[in-house]
Amino acid sequence: MHIPDNYLSPATCGTLVLAVAPVWTVAVIKVKAQIKEKRETLPMLGIAASLAFLIMMFNLPIPGGTTAHAVGGTLLAVLIGPWAAVLALTVTVLLQALLFGDGGILAFGANAFNMAVIMPMVGYACYRVGVKFKHPKVGLFIGAYLGINVAALVAGIELGLQPLLAHTASGAPLYCPYGLNVTVPAMLAAHLLVAGWVEAIFTVLVYQFVHKVAPTNLYQVTPQRSRRPWAYLLGGLVVLSPLGLLASNTAWGEWSPAELKQRLAEQHISQQAPQGMVQGLHFKALFQDYTIGNLPISVGYILSAITAVLIFLLLMRGLQHDNQTTK
Amino acid sequence: MTTKQPNNLPTWLEQPNQLTSQPQRHNFLAHNQQHLQHLLARLSQPLPAVQSKRWQLSPSISLLRLGILILLIALTNNTGWLWVLGLLLAGHLLQLSPSQLRRFSRSWLLSTLIALLVVLPSYWLVGPATVLLFGFKTGLILASTQYYRLTTTFQELLSGLKTLHCPNIFIMTLAIAITYLRMLGHYLLQTMMALDMRMVAPAKHPYRLIGTLFGNLFLKSHAYALELYAAMEARGFNGHYVNQPATTNRWHDMLTLTPYLVLVAVFIFGRTYGIN
Amino acid sequence: MALIKLTNISYDYPNTCGLDHLNLEINTGDFICLMGPNGSGKSTLLRILSGLETASQGDYQFDDQAITAAYLADPQDRQRLHQQIGLVFQNTDVQLFNTSVADEVAFGPRQLGLPEAEIAQRVTDCLELTHSSELRDRVPYQLSGGEKKRVALASVLALNPTVLLLDEPLNGLTIAAQQQMLTLLQTLQAAGKTIIMASHNFKQVQAVEPRFVIFNADHQIQADLTAAELATQPEQQAELLTL
Repeated sequence: MHIPDNYLSPATCGTLVLAVAPVWTVAVIKVKAQIKEKRETLPMLGIAASLAFLIMMFNLPIPGGTTAHAVGGTLLAVLIGPWAAVLALTVTVLLQALLFGDGGILAFGANAFNMAVIMPMVGYACYRVGVKFKHPKVGLFIGAYLGINVAALVAGIELGLQPLLAHTASGAPLYCPYGLNVTVPAMLAAHLLVAGWVEAIFTVLVYQFVHKVAPTNLYQVTPQRSRRPWAYLLGGLVVLSPLGLLASNTAWGEWSPAELKQRLAEQHISQQAPQGMVQGLHFKALFQDYTIGNLPISVGYILSAITAVLIFLLLMRGLQHDNQTTK
Repeated sequence: MTTKQPNNLPTWLEQPNQLTSQPQRHNFLAHNQQHLQHLLARLSQPLPAVQSKRWQLSPSISLLRLGILILLIALTNNTGWLWVLGLLLAGHLLQLSPSQLRRFSRSWLLSTLIALLVVLPSYWLVGPATVLLFGFKTGLILASTQYYRLTTTFQELLSGLKTLHCPNIFIMTLAIAITYLRMLGHYLLQTMMALDMRMVAPAKHPYRLIGTLFGNLFLKSHAYALELYAAMEARGFNGHYVNQPATTNRWHDMLTLTPYLVLVAVFIFGRTYGIN
Repeated sequence: MALIKLTNISYDYPNTCGLDHLNLEINTGDFICLMGPNGSGKSTLLRILSGLETASQGDYQFDDQAITAAYLADPQDRQRLHQQIGLVFQNTDVQLFNTSVADEVAFGPRQLGLPEAEIAQRVTDCLELTHSSELRDRVPYQLSGGEKKRVALASVLALNPTVLLLDEPLNGLTIAAQQQMLTLLQTLQAAGKTIIMASHNFKQVQAVEPRFVIFNADHQIQADLTAAELATQPEQQAELLTL
């Protein structure tokens, strides 16, 4: 899953670093709070990073004689807490890039995004759902499986978009030469069929052992008192949204069917736009292409972002349990 | 506890061992032990290959140089440019000792070959130009990172990051990670050896064993963390990671960086004149 | 014919020497105590004997079978060797990985596919021999250092090995527990087991009258003496007391 250098365009790498930056900020704030309650969390970050390193280098046997390796993103999130896991895994990915040549240096942001953010977060969310339904192990199993597959999917998309994002005037790709039609199936097939199961089984077995031998060493969820870090994260994303303008091309996956057809033709992939997209549902988004009336385009971006955030907040609010009992 | 020593052994222990053997194809432990031993050997030799006394670069500058080099290689699509960058890199490689150069070439060729194998099928998709350009660029990037790894110690990396104003907590975490990678790695190796000693038949559930292996490793790392924090506090840790200032010549630093700065300038302003 | 025969064994670590041209013969039923300064090669020798490492140079014969890297690379042969040789590690933390002491001791016999009744018998016997019966349902991870030592020995004994290797088995034990362990080892020796242990505790070990193999700081064997021979050499004794 480690993306080496030169597979992603520097612009993609930069964008992904900017995307991870707010997550890191929240993680630092969250972990600082965690350190106040459990002081050993501070050295644990570094030690967990080396633990993750060892997990990633351990070859697990799979039927057929070959081997695979686990990443341990979900496992770490459950063992030391999701935010601490984000920081620890980031350090692991950096260490691998700088000192061991696993994964690129420019691609650090992308690798951190996939393995240090998406994987522990998706995995941990599933685990929490499992805990809520009194089946933590089931949640963990699904979380580990989903976590690595979502991360692989995102990695596949990052790679597969390169021919569309960066190519010469004649259409020859400058970075990863394979399109989405190759990278996504390739990444997903490997992870859905093999690596995902390996990761899930590994995660549950280690968790089971720790749970049995020393349950107090597992990360204990403290009742949430403040929602401020979420606010920082969302605020940061809103401010960053005009970054979309920096990309000279249209946004990923946001092409109109005609444009898509043209792009696909350029890539010799298909001469026809997918049928479903031509005849499928056409709903006019409220803010078509993020322009509202005659407002400058950047303001449109920010407004759209704020709207999305508000909808997200409302959704979260609706799904929450009430803290106080109503009379 | 009873203090009486049983003087006679149970009968099964007095009889000679009945050896059994069951066929097995693959032993995952032996393979991983080798793997880990290589890593530990590498970690126990943190000295860089090149330690030029006269021309010592400050860690932050060499980190900066690496960043500029990789960025330039990644950004350009002009073979002439890549040629110049390759020459610059080759000049640096001249400083390596012959044995180090051989080591460098071996691992560099191997990693470039793997990169080429991955990109080769695209020949039928997009033609030879892309494959060549991609291979050339990847090779150059791999060479520059490989050179950096050969010439930089972990300590230098840390002080380089420190000079570039990386947050203290981050540097401390990185330092702990590097130190404990060795300690945990050693512990894992010992655990695998102990398991190996008692693996007297093919494992029925290898994954369960691996689960306990890493479960134990996590518990050990937790214990390490508690000890380390106690030790940090005992030594008056105040949250600041203090580093010894490096004694290097600023003039050398600037001189080494100059060709790169010139290249960056040419790269940025050259576009207008169609140089790249 | 000797059970173990080492000819010209050397072992090199990446930067330093581990063992330097070692020659040693060990017979069935020997009780050997390896002594010497720290880092003189005792643990390295135990690891080579157990087949965890292969010597850089030299010849190791176990029961007339040459133990080479190729021999150990075959999983079946490797497991055959490990059925005959048991090793108690210096750091017993690494050796205990099950979730209960009873499971820990049953781990080896269970792999061999023995019937459950026999496994249960072995577990009970081994825990009794090592005075650990009351630890049966505890979690090994939470035991004290001395308790871990005893459980580690029990778990190795359960496999009924012909040769028992012990790396500093007396460390972390009380004097009474040290004596108990030595008595048990002596009983095992009387039953025909071969015992090879590395130790610093000359005073305690002297009581069981082993054969002393003494290393010097240059990773070579300095002396190989029976307890009776050592008794006639006060200088050597005085040196061992300082270890």
